[in-house]
Amino acid sequence: MCGIAGIVYKDKELHNIGNDMTNMLHQLQHRGPDSAGYSIYGGTGLEENEYILKIQVKESEKLLDKVKHAINFITPIKQDAILPSVGDSFIYKCKISLDEFSQLKPLITKVDTIDDVIVINGSHDFEMIKDVGSVLDIADRYDVRDVKGTHAIGHTRFSTESGVDRYHAHPFQTYIVRDISVVHNGQITNYWKIRDPLERKGHVFETFNDTECLVHYIADKLATGYSLEEALEQSVEDMDGPFSYIIGTPQGIGIAKDKLGLRPGVMAETDDVFAIASEEVSLREVVDTRHVEQISPGEVMVYEI
Amino acid sequence: MEVFEIDAEKLTPREVNSQIKSAADEYDKIIIRNPNANHYLAAGVTEDVEIEFDGSVGYFGGCMCDGPKITINGNAGWFVGDNLTGGEVIVEGTAGDGAGQGIYDGTVVVKESVGSRTGEIMKNGTIIIGGNSGFMTGIFMMGGRIIILGDVGDDVAESIIRGVVYVRGKIKSLGNNAKIEEMTFEDSLEVEEILSKYEFEVDDISQFKKIVPESTRPFYGH
Repeated sequence: MCGIAGIVYKDKELHNIGNDMTNMLHQLQHRGPDSAGYSIYGGTGLEENEYILKIQVKESEKLLDKVKHAINFITPIKQDAILPSVGDSFIYKCKISLDEFSQLKPLITKVDTIDDVIVINGSHDFEMIKDVGSVLDIADRYDVRDVKGTHAIGHTRFSTESGVDRYHAHPFQTYIVRDISVVHNGQITNYWKIRDPLERKGHVFETFNDTECLVHYIADKLATGYSLEEALEQSVEDMDGPFSYIIGTPQGIGIAKDKLGLRPGVMAETDDVFAIASEEVSLREVVDTRHVEQISPGEVMVYEI
Repeated sequence: MEVFEIDAEKLTPREVNSQIKSAADEYDKIIIRNPNANHYLAAGVTEDVEIEFDGSVGYFGGCMCDGPKITINGNAGWFVGDNLTGGEVIVEGTAGDGAGQGIYDGTVVVKESVGSRTGEIMKNGTIIIGGNSGFMTGIFMMGGRIIILGDVGDDVAESIIRGVVYVRGKIKSLGNNAKIEEMTFEDSLEVEEILSKYEFEVDDISQFKKIVPESTRPFYGH
């Protein structure tokens, strides 16, 4: 089933958006108990050439040293921290600098070659937090309620096609265009038809998850000059299956819904906030819901700041 | 009138419904505070009682009921009034997809706009939408009537077998086996009577278009 949510503060100022999104996702917990995740934009405070890496490392002697060595070989680690997690692994978070964004994916690929290590995320303008378990547990685990930002997207996952682990939790991101991420409720049934031409163009897929395919598709469109709204509109034409999904970019968020309207989506807006979610029960955590708009089959909505 | 109030703020839908059913025998009216857009509220009530929600409900609000008059002073999620066999469900705001899905009788009223597939597989009864209704309104309809005061989306009355859809606004496109028929004088009286009962003000009933099945046996021939 899955639950999706997105929120934008129109004043472009930093707000307690980690707290807002936690409350929104908690209300969508019934739609997906397996894992949950966030992309929180606008509050990282990084310099233009700085990036944050989040890396899942198995509890094993000297494995972290190996990870650090691999990163330091390419660029010095400027700052780091260990985030305890569940299971037999932890999250290693570090800050690095790169001359070009195009250097990020090769670095991640390099680190990913180390056994028992998975790079969960590499980003500049957003903080990605995702893990298995309930929304409230994850929020406590990573102090999400303290994360500030201008806008955010989030997800509660009811897994269907692929495994339940931290990597397969949403959001998914791509390294084709900087800081694009997606949360998705549904299935893309013409997955291979979408994936094949993207792979021929050089996109590297890490999973067989249809959500990964979505974010590559949108990034490809954005990289070739489409606006977010145009990319979403084209996706409604090109994708088959039941879906509603939200894209996050440094400029805002956008939602697209399949032409048969088989997955839900509602929107409410005030002078201060634009919010979208699978259900009204989530919207009412952050916005006045006296007037809720149903997102129609095949409809696309974008709010950029 | 004996009124019973339930504060749903800290209750599960099951607990709210249990309290509604306990109170329905003894009281004339039940008011539910803080429904908080939760799902399945007032499901399966069969008593002749007034139920008022002071806020929005989630999916399947007032589903499978037979008898109560339910008023929702807010919005409703998907499938409001699903499988109603008698009574009324009135939504003062908007509703999601499948409003009045599969109803056998009774009336579902949404004062503002709704999502897609309004009244799908309905067998009888009445659905009134004060605003617009989306894609495939009246799909697989097998009886009853839908009245839309606003516009209606693509493929209205898709694969309709029996029943009628009245639309005051624009019709984007008709579904398979649907056709537009001339409104009769009797039709206009019927529509006027139903709308006035629910306090909809319509100046000119002749604006309505009437959509009916082209054939009652579209799949197997005559």
